[in-house]
Amino acid sequence: MSSPPIAARQSPLGWARRNLFRSRWDAAVTVVAAVLVGYAVVRAVRFVFVTGRWEIVRVNLKLLMVGRFPDQHLLRVSVAVVVAAGVGGLVAGCLHRRQADAGRLVWRPPGAVWAIRAFVARSWPLLLVTLLVLSLTSTPGPWVTAGAALAALVVARLLGTRLPKQLHAVIFVGAALAPFLLVWYLADAVGWDGWGGLMLNVFIAVTSIVLCFPLGVLAALGRRSSMPVVRGLSTVTIELVRGAPLFVLLLMANVALGFFVPPDQAPGRVARAIVVFTIFTAAYLAEIVRGGLQSLPPGQEEAAKALGLSPVRVTFLVVLPQALRNVIPAQVGQFISLFKDTTLAGAAMTLFELLQVGQSVTAQGPFAGQALLPEAFAFVGLLFWTGAYTMSRESQRLERRLGVGQR
Amino acid sequence: MARPGGRPPLWRDVRVLRVAFQLMVLAAAGGVLAYLVGNVRENSERLGIPTGFGFLDNPAQFPIPDSGFRQTQPVRDAIWHGLLNTLRVSLLGIVAATLLGIAVGVARLSGNWLVRNAARVYVEGLRNIPLLLLIVFAYIGVALTSFPRVDRAWEPFGLAVVSNRGVVLPWYDDGGPWLLAGVVVAAVAAWGIARWRRAVNDRTGRPEHTLRWAAPAVVAALAAGWLLSGASVTVPELEGRIVTGGTRISPEFFAILAALVLYTASHIAEIVRGSIQAVPLGQSEAAEALALSPFQRLRFVVLPQALRTAVPPMGNQYLNLTKNSTLGAVVSYYELARVTSISVGNGAPAVPAYLLTLGLFVILSLLLSLVVNLVNRRLALVTR
Amino acid sequence: MRPLRPVPAILLTAVLALTACTGDDDGDASDETSGATSTPAATNAPGQPGPGGSDVLGTVQRNGRVRCGTRDDLPGFASLDPSGAHVGFDTDFCRVIAAAVLGDAEAVDFVDLETANRFTALQSGEIDVLVRNTTWTAVRDGTEGATFLQPNFYDGQGMMVSTDSGIDQVADLAGQVVCVAGGTTTEGNVATEFERLGAQPPEILSFESVELVQQAFQEGRCDGWSSDRSQLTSLRAAYPEGPESLTILEGTFSKEPLAPAVRDGDSRWAQVVEWAVMATIQAEEFDISSENVDEVRSSSADPNVLRFLGQPVDGTVLDPGLGLPPDFAYHVVSQVGNYGEIYDRNITPLGLERGLNALWTDGGLLYAPPYR
Repeated sequence: MSSPPIAARQSPLGWARRNLFRSRWDAAVTVVAAVLVGYAVVRAVRFVFVTGRWEIVRVNLKLLMVGRFPDQHLLRVSVAVVVAAGVGGLVAGCLHRRQADAGRLVWRPPGAVWAIRAFVARSWPLLLVTLLVLSLTSTPGPWVTAGAALAALVVARLLGTRLPKQLHAVIFVGAALAPFLLVWYLADAVGWDGWGGLMLNVFIAVTSIVLCFPLGVLAALGRRSSMPVVRGLSTVTIELVRGAPLFVLLLMANVALGFFVPPDQAPGRVARAIVVFTIFTAAYLAEIVRGGLQSLPPGQEEAAKALGLSPVRVTFLVVLPQALRNVIPAQVGQFISLFKDTTLAGAAMTLFELLQVGQSVTAQGPFAGQALLPEAFAFVGLLFWTGAYTMSRESQRLERRLGVGQR
Repeated sequence: MARPGGRPPLWRDVRVLRVAFQLMVLAAAGGVLAYLVGNVRENSERLGIPTGFGFLDNPAQFPIPDSGFRQTQPVRDAIWHGLLNTLRVSLLGIVAATLLGIAVGVARLSGNWLVRNAARVYVEGLRNIPLLLLIVFAYIGVALTSFPRVDRAWEPFGLAVVSNRGVVLPWYDDGGPWLLAGVVVAAVAAWGIARWRRAVNDRTGRPEHTLRWAAPAVVAALAAGWLLSGASVTVPELEGRIVTGGTRISPEFFAILAALVLYTASHIAEIVRGSIQAVPLGQSEAAEALALSPFQRLRFVVLPQALRTAVPPMGNQYLNLTKNSTLGAVVSYYELARVTSISVGNGAPAVPAYLLTLGLFVILSLLLSLVVNLVNRRLALVTR
Repeated sequence: MRPLRPVPAILLTAVLALTACTGDDDGDASDETSGATSTPAATNAPGQPGPGGSDVLGTVQRNGRVRCGTRDDLPGFASLDPSGAHVGFDTDFCRVIAAAVLGDAEAVDFVDLETANRFTALQSGEIDVLVRNTTWTAVRDGTEGATFLQPNFYDGQGMMVSTDSGIDQVADLAGQVVCVAGGTTTEGNVATEFERLGAQPPEILSFESVELVQQAFQEGRCDGWSSDRSQLTSLRAAYPEGPESLTILEGTFSKEPLAPAVRDGDSRWAQVVEWAVMATIQAEEFDISSENVDEVRSSSADPNVLRFLGQPVDGTVLDPGLGLPPDFAYHVVSQVGNYGEIYDRNITPLGLERGLNALWTDGGLLYAPPYR
């Protein structure tokens, strides 16, 4: 089979012939697809720039982002964002240093320009949406916060690559503790039952993710245990929780924790939501991890045992790392689902989270009855999309780094 | 020191430890359960709320559209109709989402740039937005606004009535058991013919051609059943704003089904894509070396291996879809969770009502899980 | 001796940190143990716990906040202004209760509830009082663990249609489509009404979100929109195509007395809420408003008025032993207003006449028992 000369391959016409019109069937498909896609794009662009009335988003930006957080404490939110960015950058820097030292990095040209290019290519959705949100604000506060966070991220990243490796353990432990400290810092000003908007969604999702992981892994291991009682209980619990719809569980959590505990110990609404999300996600995670464990050749476990490793070490040092790596796409998919399912907490428990805010601002005085639901929802959808898309892109990078699908 | 050939002391004997541990676990679980149940009972008594299932016999006090349910019927009938609605949405949704998901997943790896990137935009776009958003958009943005108002409904070929109150299609009048018998006979005939042709193919190598052998038999059986039952077709008629006859696909049903299918398919597409890429590249190359066309490569070499790893996560998505059907409540689709929450709002005690609903969903999910596990077990890699 | 592993240490710390954090929740510990006597600064009478051991009044006084169940999506009754603060008729009555019990109308924690869980929030102790345009019915008194008090708004269920739809009466909607918001009694009432008329019941759609109902109605998905007449008026006033394009049909399906509700088993708290609400009605009867209450208090000669406002008459201050401070009515009127002011502030802009919600002296149903 002879390939066309290089010149023909590189021209736009050549590109089109190879990618769009390789055969008659291919050409027909391209035409149909082009018509459909063109129509959709035109309608979307018209909505965003011509017919959409975006005043409702502009006016209610604070409600959408942080709910009814009192204005005098908003500084704490800014500080928390900057600190989180700093800690994240520090951890990223340390990880980068470890990867570089282990020789697992692809060489990149040195210098700030390339670094900036790489950074922008990696996080353009997040940057674009942040700019969009900033452009809708009317006060300088958010701009300052965003700028400080970016600066903190960059500085911490650079610092992380230069710190001695002995400090890494301390840094990682600190980074693990940082979310708890930040939550305490914010809850000190306003208890988390008073949080709202995007902040509440992020809080619920992150807390549930962190708490569900140990539970889910334990449940998966329990399900594969050789002890019948443990296996039976794990299976029953996992199947019961997996069988229950999250929406109904949330509705019931409104009630259940009122009846299942003595009245003076009923936890607040946000805590209830977190408990439900944690248990629910742990059950799904258990099944995903089980799939990963199933995909592992038993030779790994046998070899580890032959080396005299104890069962705990076999599990945690040999089996689990490989199993978890094999199911990264499914895990991240589940976590992204969790982030989006925080909207159900708003619908079921009337938590004032982002989607609820989006719905309730359409009923405000000047905006009531004007069919502004599409605009409000488009903005809310964009925020969710950015968060979820960023997470999924990062997971794909991780997949590539760890070599899933190649060996 | 352990004596050679002797039993280890009790406190180090693995068998004893295992039994002791399991007993402890049982005791702990039992204790927790007793505590929870006790609290429920105590709190219910304190508030004077009944704890039994007697509420099932109370009149429901709300009607359900598109069914024969009237508001004077008991709550248990309402729950039954809710369950039927949930099943309707879930089963249709699973089938449609799988087909669409596999198609899009394969399209993601297509050679055509436009198709590949359109699939990518679809998957990345829909996978990352909340389902609730999609449902409300599907309802208001599509079902209600894209179709005409009922007094200006479309009537394609005079056979159907399409408006934003639903799509009404011609449907048959129930003709009794003969119709069902005809369907059963047709199914059995098709299965039997398929087996026969496969045996012929094994024995003599002649092509199966199942379709052209089975089709006449199936058609004959269905036609016989139809004629014997005396059923007739009703065509919907539009008078002013009221449509009579035919069967209706309500905009609520359409919205929840469309949103569920589009959303779940985007997840399934990612799973399928990942599993296709997990099939070692050598398989695909060997198939190409054997001069198989791209379609044949996919159908006979790659997909069978890919779907093996895809089954557990896809099973997860089916469960998700069934559970997500409860969100139909937001757009007034009367599935099980909505029926329960309205009954609780009308005075049914909350804990028993929700426990009943959860129980029904757990049973549904267990059945679904069972099917998926069976498939998984048959397909799982058999190793030494 | 193995060194402490990092992972378990982190988990342990995390768990400890979280348990410390859950202690920070504000306003959720509803301590219902029967206290002996509650002696906050606001009351004179020694507190007695209600029968059954529940003592919401003591809890409220201890916490210094009233937790009021409400909503955020019904203009005129309970919604949010652009700064996120709750405004509306029902939310003003939440403030009335706080002003009466605690002397501060802003000492309220508003808890936004869905229709589906408004009673369970009351049952579970998440809220102290439910003021959320809830209809008082026998079934709810009996099975929801709730006690309803004096209605603060007498309403009825009505039906709204497009003016140019050609529908003049409810029976014309037989076999057509009706949308309702929030489900529950609204749906049942529509179905019952058509049964009573002997007409074919319409298809009934119910949405939790009022915005969705409006969109569905605007797009022609439904022919009729049924809800409490007060809600219909408020929604009609805000309709994008103008209030004239909608007509509220004559006739009401059902009696809908909207009343605040408290938990069963605490009659002392129930009385407190009841008299707080009735103070607004009595104040309007006495012609006391937030504008003139100070003047009336210092210069009135009517002993009934003085007793009502907690002023000494013949040297003694009347304390009926409800558990409220003697001048609770003064705080209510000066900080929130009388019934007429609350009504005018929130409901008159919607175009709804007082009707049944006028004083008994004006032909309405509002009648407060004498304060003596």
